Amino acid sequence: MAAAAELTLLEKSLGLSKGNKYSAQGERQIPVLQTNSGPSLTGLTTIAAHLVKQANKDYLLGSTAEEKAVVQQWLEYRVTRVDGHCSKDDIRAVLKDLNSYLEDKVYLTGYNFTLADILLYYGLHRFIVDLTVQEKEKYLNVSRWFCHIQHCPGIRQHLSSVVFIKNRLYTNSQ
Amino acid sequence: MGFGDLKSPAGLQMLNDYLADKSYIEGDVPSQADVAVFEAVSGPPPAALCHALRWCNYIRSYEKEKASLPGVKKALGKYGPANVEDTTESGATDSKDDDDTDLFGSDEEEEREEAKRLREERLAQYESKKAKTPALVAKSSILLDVKPWDDETNMAKLEECVRSIQAEGLVWGSSKLVPVGYGIKKLQVQCVVEDDKVGTDMLEEQITAFDEYVQSMDVAAFNKI
Repeated sequence: MAAAAELTLLEKSLGLSKGNKYSAQGERQIPVLQTNSGPSLTGLTTIAAHLVKQANKDYLLGSTAEEKAVVQQWLEYRVTRVDGHCSKDDIRAVLKDLNSYLEDKVYLTGYNFTLADILLYYGLHRFIVDLTVQEKEKYLNVSRWFCHIQHCPGIRQHLSSVVFIKNRLYTNSQ
Repeated sequence: MGFGDLKSPAGLQMLNDYLADKSYIEGDVPSQADVAVFEAVSGPPPAALCHALRWCNYIRSYEKEKASLPGVKKALGKYGPANVEDTTESGATDSKDDDDTDLFGSDEEEEREEAKRLREERLAQYESKKAKTPALVAKSSILLDVKPWDDETNMAKLEECVRSIQAEGLVWGSSKLVPVGYGIKKLQVQCVVEDDKVGTDMLEEQITAFDEYVQSMDVAAFNKI
């Protein structure tokens, strides 16, 4: 998904009515937002955090200091390890990391829904859509988390809903 | 439905397996279903049952809002994996009070009507209970062999196509790839069908419809369950 499109999607999820105009910079098409009163903002996570504050949903950035740090960690992870890298091996490594991380957590920060969940959902959607049944079961925790996020109201929007089968078929794939 | 005895290791294991791919007992938000099961679990599950532990800690964080979670608390046997026998069925139907005859009977006519109404009510209850017991369904287990065109065919996509065939009374089981020579692999997939709802000719028609991937399909084995 192009950065500008993703940010527009995020705006809708946050309930912001005005559509900002985003321009792109450089060969990697990093999004830029020109604010009315101040400097222009560059970068997906920077603009996303700004939008969250605009929507008065600061809790999405984390409540405690540790939670805020974890949110930042996953935003950085999204930009450095998920965007731009398309090789199957990279994605497999990402999914494996996420799968072990999510074993004891409901959301990326533990028990609270944050911007990290939203942006990682948008970032990974194009890869999860192509996973086979066996792979979805292999990364069971990622599947569980993804299924949960896509059911959160207002998040999925026009993105296709990925199907996760209820009954597990490959019981030895743990 | 039901997890068996949630105070036993077997029950906790069942809960753990159930929660491996779910964040909540029912639906997509915390509800009275989670509260009901949480209260039945006596303490935090052992760390080895990581999914049950994750869910337990998560629901515990909702301790204060327990009463305001949506939904209605049902008997424990109503939650959990659908194919498990409900072992918690304890006299769920409350015994109707026997004192429907007013001892200080005022109006005889009124009394007769009341008694009649109660009798009808009880009959209706009995009928509905009888109607609920499911009739015996005839099922068969079929093993299908799906052959691709050549060794370059994308078997993962082929499997997805086959599994995308949905029908009432059809449940897909496990599958594996069996080599048949020259590098070609056939997909052997198990399915359980209800005899009067799904037939092999219908399955054959739908599978061979994916003629981009499927060259042919055979029934390798057909057993009555």
